[in-house]
Amino acid sequence: MAEEYDIKALAEIIKSLRRDTEKLKEIGAGMPTVVKNADRILSNVKMLEINVNDVVKILGK
Amino acid sequence: MSNEEYWNPVLETLPREKLEKLQLKKFQEIFTWAYDRSKFYHKLYSDAGIEPGDIKSFEDIRRVPKIEKSMMRDIQGKDPFPYGDILCVPLEEVTDYRQTSGTTGQPVYQADTWQDWEFSTEAYAYALYAQGYRPGDRLFVPFGYNIFIAFWAYHYAGQKIGCEMIPGGVLNTEARILKMQELRATGMGATPTYVLGMAETARRMGINPPTDLQIRKITVAGEPGGSIPATRKRMEEAWGAKVYDQVGSTEIGHWGWECQHQSGLHVNEGFFLVEIIDVDTGECINEPGRRGKMVVTTFTRSAQPCIRFDVKDLIEWNSQLCDCGRTYRLLDGGIKGRADDITKVKGVLLSPTAIEEVVRAIPELSNEYLVVVTKKGDIDVITLKVEIVPEHAKDEAAVRTVLVDQLRVKTNLGYNIEFHEFGSLPRSMAKSRRFQDERPKQH
Repeated sequence: MAEEYDIKALAEIIKSLRRDTEKLKEIGAGMPTVVKNADRILSNVKMLEINVNDVVKILGK
Repeated sequence: MSNEEYWNPVLETLPREKLEKLQLKKFQEIFTWAYDRSKFYHKLYSDAGIEPGDIKSFEDIRRVPKIEKSMMRDIQGKDPFPYGDILCVPLEEVTDYRQTSGTTGQPVYQADTWQDWEFSTEAYAYALYAQGYRPGDRLFVPFGYNIFIAFWAYHYAGQKIGCEMIPGGVLNTEARILKMQELRATGMGATPTYVLGMAETARRMGINPPTDLQIRKITVAGEPGGSIPATRKRMEEAWGAKVYDQVGSTEIGHWGWECQHQSGLHVNEGFFLVEIIDVDTGECINEPGRRGKMVVTTFTRSAQPCIRFDVKDLIEWNSQLCDCGRTYRLLDGGIKGRADDITKVKGVLLSPTAIEEVVRAIPELSNEYLVVVTKKGDIDVITLKVEIVPEHAKDEAAVRTVLVDQLRVKTNLGYNIEFHEFGSLPRSMAKSRRFQDERPKQH
């Protein structure tokens, strides 16, 4: 069923979400609202990674 | 099969060889994580002479030492307080405390980061989505929202899917039933014991759940009843709803569930490694139909990893894959019991689950029962306490005969049968303890 979805494109976007959110944390250091909300985003990014990126690696895409 | 049945259509239908490759990789990752960050795991593995680079195959995984609840109990209470040196993250990253129910002894503490909690919720979302929960469902959660994991993840997984969640909280049973009726709730999650107890209470209140309430999906967890056909039939008839089993634990997370096909429990093999180990030989069982105890690894649990946890639940693989199209394997008949619970009585191995199968298949009996094992001299005596429903009080002699015969067939043992007044045996709102072994301990 993997071929029905462009999971490689999904994985790329998820990677950039992680990069951007980590950058957000770095620039927002000292602003708890930025850091803590970014942490929550990263938790959801992790869920996307285990659902998509890890599978992409196994499928060799 | 339509893709709309899957929470993750890619992972849930991954070809078996890819799935196993993924499991091996994820095992290596969580092993390395724990080895590098937890003093407890580092020592456990160093003592066994195993390092992360040593795990290259499933055979290597079998060499990794198992952990069990008693080890967790020994660790906790020390620094970093209260979790001890199993912890893999700084205490400042722990956002949730929960503990086991204590059914088998001192409760075990569980630390979770926010990401760990997201993982718990994500794993449960797989279950609820497979069971047909969708946005537009209004779900009632008749659970006390306390230190026990119970239905916390049901709440947040339902919310994640897009359902509307109603926290039943500290309301009593009558108030919960009235609130379900008032808000026209369409589904709920509870233990089998409480699902049956609520139906009994509703009828006493003059409310007939199938016609007066709109609950059409029920997820049960915490006890084996959801996979016992006679108990499931009782629940489905009492509510006019489909009942689905879901399994998990505080330490592991929510590792298995039934889909709408109700063919058995799917193991979420994308998120967990479930091994079945022969109780006597310790050998790994991969063939269907052979019962053994379950050893589970959770792939994504950062604060307090759960690696090769010997749960002591007894399970066996089903020979079939489910018609739903998932490649995740099925367990035949759910949890068959606990290795701890299976005890020798009169020299025969007795599983309390077998007694439940008999009692719940006799419609003249209420949902409650209690098994008490005592010793008279050198002889084990099993007393089964049951309640006959009032409209069948006159059938006591016939019911006794059926009960004795069926128990003999299913368990190969004889019982003292005691009939108690309807409503007099204890009712529970959570997990029930229906097996009491009162024999003096052997030393």
